[in-house]
Amino acid sequence: MRERDAKIRSEIIPESWLWDGMTVAIGDPAPMVLIRQIISRNIKDLTVIGTGYALDILIAAGIVKKTISYLAAGGVGVPVAPCFRKAAESGEIEVWECEEGILTSGLEAAGKGLPFMPCRGGVGTSLPEINKDLKVFQDPFGNETLIAVPAIRPDLAIIHASVSDSYGNVQHCRGPGWLDLFLCRAADKTIVQVESVISNEEVRSNPWATTLADVDAVICLKWGAHPLYSRGHYIQDIKFVQEYFSLAARACKTGNTNTLEEFLIRYYRGPKSHAEYLERVGIGRILELKEY
Amino acid sequence: MNKLYSQQELMAVFLARDLKDGEHLQVGYALPVAEAATRLAHIMHGPNMELIFLGARMNVHHLEYLPMPEFGWDNRIVRWAESYSDRGHRFDRLKDWTKRVFFIGGVQVDKYGNTNLIGTGKNFKRLDFRGPGSVGTPTLTTHVGRYYIILNKHSKRTFVEKCDYISTVGWGDGDPEARTKLGFPGGGPKYCLTPLCVMDFDENNKSMRVRSLHPGVELQDVVSNTGFPLVVPKDLPYTVEPTDEELYVLRTRVDREGILRSEGSV
Repeated sequence: MRERDAKIRSEIIPESWLWDGMTVAIGDPAPMVLIRQIISRNIKDLTVIGTGYALDILIAAGIVKKTISYLAAGGVGVPVAPCFRKAAESGEIEVWECEEGILTSGLEAAGKGLPFMPCRGGVGTSLPEINKDLKVFQDPFGNETLIAVPAIRPDLAIIHASVSDSYGNVQHCRGPGWLDLFLCRAADKTIVQVESVISNEEVRSNPWATTLADVDAVICLKWGAHPLYSRGHYIQDIKFVQEYFSLAARACKTGNTNTLEEFLIRYYRGPKSHAEYLERVGIGRILELKEY
Repeated sequence: MNKLYSQQELMAVFLARDLKDGEHLQVGYALPVAEAATRLAHIMHGPNMELIFLGARMNVHHLEYLPMPEFGWDNRIVRWAESYSDRGHRFDRLKDWTKRVFFIGGVQVDKYGNTNLIGTGKNFKRLDFRGPGSVGTPTLTTHVGRYYIILNKHSKRTFVEKCDYISTVGWGDGDPEARTKLGFPGGGPKYCLTPLCVMDFDENNKSMRVRSLHPGVELQDVVSNTGFPLVVPKDLPYTVEPTDEELYVLRTRVDREGILRSEGSV
């Protein structure tokens, strides 16, 4: 008799799961180990559903062609993520302009196998003018003006969570990330990186805590969201993130990208493994990132 | 004039007074004035208010100190959550959101309170300035009972005759029925707060109207920094100053770090 397949994998994303021109959806916090692999393997012309630091790093690495964007802020004092801003202004990337209600509707349509989902958010705004995929229509019952949002179906969703069992029953700590559940339902495949692996017995002791069931692959790497946060484990490395945003802003302003490229080589292009990345960050720094 | 409070503290206190007990207050990303105001109102007069931040419905009324988030995605705030909804699921009960109060900023604001977070420039594919994006403001402002526009600067760059792009519809083209005609359940923008003044919207033509000047500000400061003609009533009061008690509570129980008094604040 065959045994049930385990979903735990090594930290390497299978070759056939990544290709040029694919659409990748990034959960929140972004799974930075997986992001690093996508950068170091030089996958090109990505369409990215994402926000903040991870989105900006991917754009800085020059591998993004299009973003599906509702927010691209960098945090305190960084109202707009600098590489996103520059690439959007210069036309290097195409922006599929939307907002949270619209994005959620598109993901829901994909998850339900529908061609579109109606949405009221965005009616009367410029969004349907600058994003021709959003179609204004009259509802057939009450004649209300609504927007038809086409299904948004990512090829791959990449997620960070707290724990999983070996069968891919994933549990977030203190609530799932912002859009994680929607991204996974809509995507063809899902990879989740977790802080630790727990037993199936532990999962069965409280099945309601399972936030994502039966994902395609799980990789287990402590501190895998660094420099972002992982609820129940560590807080965002705010200095690291700020350092990135300030050197990215300088690079975008001056056109001199040397320091930015050094940063990318040191932390994203260079490390051969997660362990090597953590060594470069330094154990002292990592251990300081306590939540409380 | 030697003021004993910062402009952002004045804005927060004004806003706090306008929030009623029992209301559901949803604060989005990076709006310290609104974060402080909701906490202050909760302590001062709103024990039944619901404070919702980053999807967390927080039970914080019993706390001696209601800290503001230290940075944009300070998720430690969920330690006070009674319930939590992620970004997608919170839209599952939009039908009930007319009870909710919301707060937004803007790259541009026009005279009818339409706002723009998308960017500036005529050609969308080559914007002069690329903004952060609309976040969830189109859906939220369509549905919430009322919202406030809060700006850290009062300048002609922000207050423009016509927004290059509209990410949230305020009063559209100034028709008091504009929102009803679009089928919006929500009530629209109530006030626009800046470091210079409080503005509301004329009942008849929904044009922005100066409601009160902050103490020490001249009407001319407001007019010359606004890119469209404002409605100015005959009797123009000053914004009521914070009381000692309000300032004390704000500084000892909410904003101990002095976020509203520090760099970037005015």
